[in-house]
Amino acid sequence: MDTAFKGEHLLPGHIGQVFVILSFGGALLSTLSYFFATTSTNKLDNSWLKMGRIAFWANSVSILGVGTMLFYVIYNHYFEYHYAWSYTSRSLPVYYIVSGFWNGQEGGFLLWTFWQAVLGNVLIWRAKSWEKPVMTVISLSQLFLASMLLGVELFNARIGSSPFLLLRNAIEAPIFSRPDYLSFIKDGQGMNPLLQNYWMVIHPPTLFLGAASVVVPFAYAVAGLWQKRYKEWIAPAISWGLFASMILGVGVIMGSLWAYQSLNFGGFWAWDAVENASIFPWLTLVGGVHVMIVYKNTGHSYVTATVLVLVSFIMVLYSSFLARSGVLGDTSVHAFTDLGMFGQLVSYVLVFLAISVWCVVARFKELPITKKDEDTYSREFWMFVGAIFLALSCFHLLLVTSIPVFNRAFGTKIAPPVDLVGHYNVIQSSFAMVIAILTGFTQFLKYKKSDITRFFITTAVYFVLAALITALVVYATGLYKLHFVFNLVMFGSIYSVLANGKVLADAVKGKFKLAGSAVAHIGFALMLVGALIAAGTRKVVSLNESGVIKMNGFDKAEGERSARENVMIYKNEPVKMGDYTVTYLGDSVAAPNRYFKVNYKRLDETGKVTEEFILKPNVLTNPQMGSEPSPVPDTKHYLLHDLYTHITALPVGTNTQAAAAGDAHGEENDDKNYDEPVPHQIAVGDTIHYRDGDIILKSLNREVQVQNIPITGNDVAIGAKLEVISHNKKYEAEPVYMIKNKSVFDFARKVEDAGLKLRLSKIIPAENKVEIVVYQQPQNKKPWIVMRALDFPYINFLWSGTIIMIIGFLLSIRRRNSELKTV
Amino acid sequence: MKKSAIFGLVVIAIAIAVIISTYSSSSTYGSFSDAKKTTDELHVVGHLDKSKELYYDAAKDANYFAFFVKDNKGEECKVIYTGTKPQDFEKSEQIVLTGRMTGKEFHASTILMKCPSKYTKDKVEVTEFKAKTAEI
Repeated sequence: MDTAFKGEHLLPGHIGQVFVILSFGGALLSTLSYFFATTSTNKLDNSWLKMGRIAFWANSVSILGVGTMLFYVIYNHYFEYHYAWSYTSRSLPVYYIVSGFWNGQEGGFLLWTFWQAVLGNVLIWRAKSWEKPVMTVISLSQLFLASMLLGVELFNARIGSSPFLLLRNAIEAPIFSRPDYLSFIKDGQGMNPLLQNYWMVIHPPTLFLGAASVVVPFAYAVAGLWQKRYKEWIAPAISWGLFASMILGVGVIMGSLWAYQSLNFGGFWAWDAVENASIFPWLTLVGGVHVMIVYKNTGHSYVTATVLVLVSFIMVLYSSFLARSGVLGDTSVHAFTDLGMFGQLVSYVLVFLAISVWCVVARFKELPITKKDEDTYSREFWMFVGAIFLALSCFHLLLVTSIPVFNRAFGTKIAPPVDLVGHYNVIQSSFAMVIAILTGFTQFLKYKKSDITRFFITTAVYFVLAALITALVVYATGLYKLHFVFNLVMFGSIYSVLANGKVLADAVKGKFKLAGSAVAHIGFALMLVGALIAAGTRKVVSLNESGVIKMNGFDKAEGERSARENVMIYKNEPVKMGDYTVTYLGDSVAAPNRYFKVNYKRLDETGKVTEEFILKPNVLTNPQMGSEPSPVPDTKHYLLHDLYTHITALPVGTNTQAAAAGDAHGEENDDKNYDEPVPHQIAVGDTIHYRDGDIILKSLNREVQVQNIPITGNDVAIGAKLEVISHNKKYEAEPVYMIKNKSVFDFARKVEDAGLKLRLSKIIPAENKVEIVVYQQPQNKKPWIVMRALDFPYINFLWSGTIIMIIGFLLSIRRRNSELKTV
Repeated sequence: MKKSAIFGLVVIAIAIAVIISTYSSSSTYGSFSDAKKTTDELHVVGHLDKSKELYYDAAKDANYFAFFVKDNKGEECKVIYTGTKPQDFEKSEQIVLTGRMTGKEFHASTILMKCPSKYTKDKVEVTEFKAKTAEI
């Protein structure tokens, strides 16, 4: 390189790159050392183990080093680095700089490898005899992640993508031939405004911790099969499996909270390919945890448990492949594009798949498989059935989400179902129904053998009770109007809440350590209830029925799906919308947001205001990205429902911070913004009627002052005190008529909120009248917004169900940990 | 027969049912001429004709958005969408429409766009650089 570039800070990048390579080397050495430590026959020789540990610690420290250097680059706004330039800008507040950190793919990998390093260190500390084989697997996974960050050229292929890539190497442009190019790059691209949300600060770390911790039960399973400790690996894997499913579940729900609060598709779950991919591992792991518990208690379902645990981690890798390889292309809104790591991502999946297959196949004959069938009236049998149904639900999601993968692999051109959301809703609900009912009655069964008569009586009693409550709920919420299967899910969920409620009540009286599963199941069932009612009976409050100009042949052709959901509101003109009277009051700017104040009033029959509040749906602008503003909804939360409002269209290029009123000079252009002026000759006390209300001439003011214009002997200045009444609101204006040095001037006054400009153009002393000229803004020049308002009933069940489920998981983890005696 | 075998058969049956239902409800990517031949909804991939006007007038109808799309075979068709103009619509490189023909117009129920700006912004910004160097 010949050019000496000015002003670059290359040192942090160099240090960072050294750490990147060191982390790769550490992971490689650690993998090999732990492998030899595991296979070594000399029990007294601890040298491989020691080396493995040191190498893993080196890997962990290097990852911290990479993170520190990347943070240093971002925090100091060194835009010579592509990563800092792409995802951050000077105006970004510090807490979003933190989220800028994982905005890009490299940051995502960094976060993942960081959590895996943390988990690895916990295992080195706690895993005891399991350390060697388990850490071999984890180090191998670290090795793959480290390779994603390498960014080095090897045999003409680039391996990984480094976060310390320089801007001038990332983008080709003539500017980079100038040694002083940096002086032209004053600021970065800034963060996608939609990601500037507090959920985006904590959602990715949580989700990545969840995804990263799935490797631990996987590693235990591999270690168990590899070391022929077939039965022992299950107990620690249950605890880790519970932990991973809890964190992963929380991460996914945080993502849907973010979507609900800051995206504008009008919901919390869109069945987007990347969203679906994030719950594949959750479904299989939750299934896996259940059958592991079955195995621990009865000795049944060993192979199912092993396979589900192994598959869960493969699902983590596969979903990372889906999100990052660019394969989803046309079908997902938030997949990343290919960074040239397609091959690396595929090999990560294939290597771990091969390990899993080898473990099961090579050891199959030795596995502790029971020949005996489970009893039909036993808990283990129905837990097994439930786990299989979780896996089937995952299988369906996987099948539909992978359509673009099939297309790419086999050159086919299959498109996803036209009504994709409907397709997912109906089929996934069928699985959810079965699973919910199983979480209910399985709790009444005991392991091995149950009292059949008693079981049937309790089950039947709760079935009838649940059916009654379901009938009430379904009728009250209007759920019965929807597809039948949603009503069945509702029944299943209510049944599950009741049955688990009984188990919980018994547990509180007796053995409290059994409460975990009941609490988690209640939480899960409540989540289903909330999601079902909120998504299924969501009402469009802003349904537009009035003021529509019919287009020929248009309304007839449209079915239910394209309801007229948007409503246009002019400033200060109240519009009736459902139960509410809605008024757009004005807007204000607090960069990068522009807030629109929308007043909601609920009136009773007599016209009295029973409820009044203001929502501020807003739009986020990011001029550097050159995109249109992104709408951000605002929601009024009630205990039992949410009112959600977002902007869907705005006037093009409007500047609502229009010039201040009272400027009469050279304003001919300004007049174009108004309709043809209408002069009115009136006396004091008279009223002018105009389109939106009345203007009353209150009095004439002979002592009026006009800014900086002194009034001397012969000059005359008269102000007309006017009161404007428009849509029940009063405004005042005082246009001025002036004779100064024998010339006539008049100073118009604007009433922006009413879209008026008023002039006092003549004094007619003979008739004791004055002439007021009314300029009125045409309807389409008046400020307006188009918005959509939705009502989500009972959505709080979804969020509170999540919290209850977390509590259940925590109780279960505590219980399983207390049972655990690791050697 | 053992109970586990029966259950296995049930699971296989459900799996097959899932595959069939997915396959049968899956749609095809087609062109406007395909859309004219069928009454079913289908996916049409194309791009926005930027030389023609996008029509959206909130004052007349806040739920009527019309534009012209050229499909991948080069055929152009007027598209009507019940709703507002999606964000950054003009910038889209590719559009995937779902919907059906009604008369001579294609009525879209969903619009999926591929924008160059959101995740791979590099291309757009290079032109900005050029503008900046030109100033000097």
